[in-house]
Amino acid sequence: MTTSHNPYAPVAMTIAHAVRELPDVFTWTFRPPGGFVFRPGQFNMLYLHGVGEVPISISGDPSDPERLIHTIRSVGTVTRAMEPLGVGDVVGVRGPYGAAWPVDEARGKDVLVLAGGLGLAPLRPAILQVLAHRADYGRVTILYGARTPADLLFRDELERWRGRFDVRLEAIVDRAGRDWFGPVGVVTRLLDGLPVEPDDAVWLCGPEIMMRFAVRELEKRGVPRDAIWISMERSMKCGVGLCGHCQLAGSFVCKDGPVYRFDRIAPYLQVREL
Amino acid sequence: MDDLERVLAAHPFLAGLAPEHVGFLVGCTKNLRFRTGEYLMREGEREDTLYLIRQGMVVIEVPRPGSEPSCIETLGAGDVLGVSCLTPRAAHLDCRARETVIALAIDNVCLHRKMDADPRLGYAISMRLLERTYDRLARARLQHLDVYR
Repeated sequence: MTTSHNPYAPVAMTIAHAVRELPDVFTWTFRPPGGFVFRPGQFNMLYLHGVGEVPISISGDPSDPERLIHTIRSVGTVTRAMEPLGVGDVVGVRGPYGAAWPVDEARGKDVLVLAGGLGLAPLRPAILQVLAHRADYGRVTILYGARTPADLLFRDELERWRGRFDVRLEAIVDRAGRDWFGPVGVVTRLLDGLPVEPDDAVWLCGPEIMMRFAVRELEKRGVPRDAIWISMERSMKCGVGLCGHCQLAGSFVCKDGPVYRFDRIAPYLQVREL
Repeated sequence: MDDLERVLAAHPFLAGLAPEHVGFLVGCTKNLRFRTGEYLMREGEREDTLYLIRQGMVVIEVPRPGSEPSCIETLGAGDVLGVSCLTPRAAHLDCRARETVIALAIDNVCLHRKMDADPRLGYAISMRLLERTYDRLARARLQHLDVYR
């Protein structure tokens, strides 16, 4: 279900719950009347009247259409203007847009999720969907990298996932003090000693440089490019593949992505002008 | 000695090394255990040992006068500490055992003697050290980019 028959018309939604995740990251929950159905990896365009519109991944649980959740970093003009808003404030929402993580296609396989920074937010719906049907999947491994221990997103949930016997969760940070007892280094360090098979389903999301680095490390371990899926970020505007703002060679990230099978997008990542 | 030879051959750093070369290294190697908080290396001390970590976590820290050290990387089982052993110099970082660490400690002077005596061994060790150095350099560059900011 989409918010409107007119893809350009936002629907007014009221913020039902607001949480400060990190100093520059906040999460909003909406309770859309009639629910909001989406697939993991999709995004919405969030509109702040008089300021502008931004594409934001949905970070909620796809099996709970009563709650639409977005996790937002305050980084540009629109998101900075959104930051002070709270419960009861109204924003425009249109969507959902874009391609999804291949969660159903991964049934029967081992799943390796590799997230960096805020990249955990678009992966969270896919993780929740896998965990909701845990018996349908093989090993489930979540590797998560952040800048410092204070920058780890969804801390309580990370602890819950870590506490499960049927999930392996490893977190690593780029730098830390002595109060951090986990590993320190780049996120791909977590691949060392990890059983990775060529037919694993591998989902990556994070800064593009991190994802390129991660793909190289996965390829060294025998994972083919067609087993790797990544979520791309470009300047999405219309959300329906018409305006061309997010064009990546012959592809529109808003419509053909943001989730791509890596072998289909890889040639474009090495074109400097793109 | 047989046991030491077996654990040396099993360490990923020496994977694929000719059995006779592993045998050469046994005489330069001790199996050491470090308790939590013990230092394997300290800033300013001469790096006289190449450590092949078998178990536990080693924290690489930059000491900062007047404040807590900053941890820049951790090493674990299968990793190597002391990659500059080909050109020994004073360590520029502290390396501390965060938990019990078991490592194969290869004496640098002895290692150099063996590498000089058998250039094939010298080449094999040098290439492995170079590979580890490049990997670490690539990781350091990525960290330097601060991509999550």
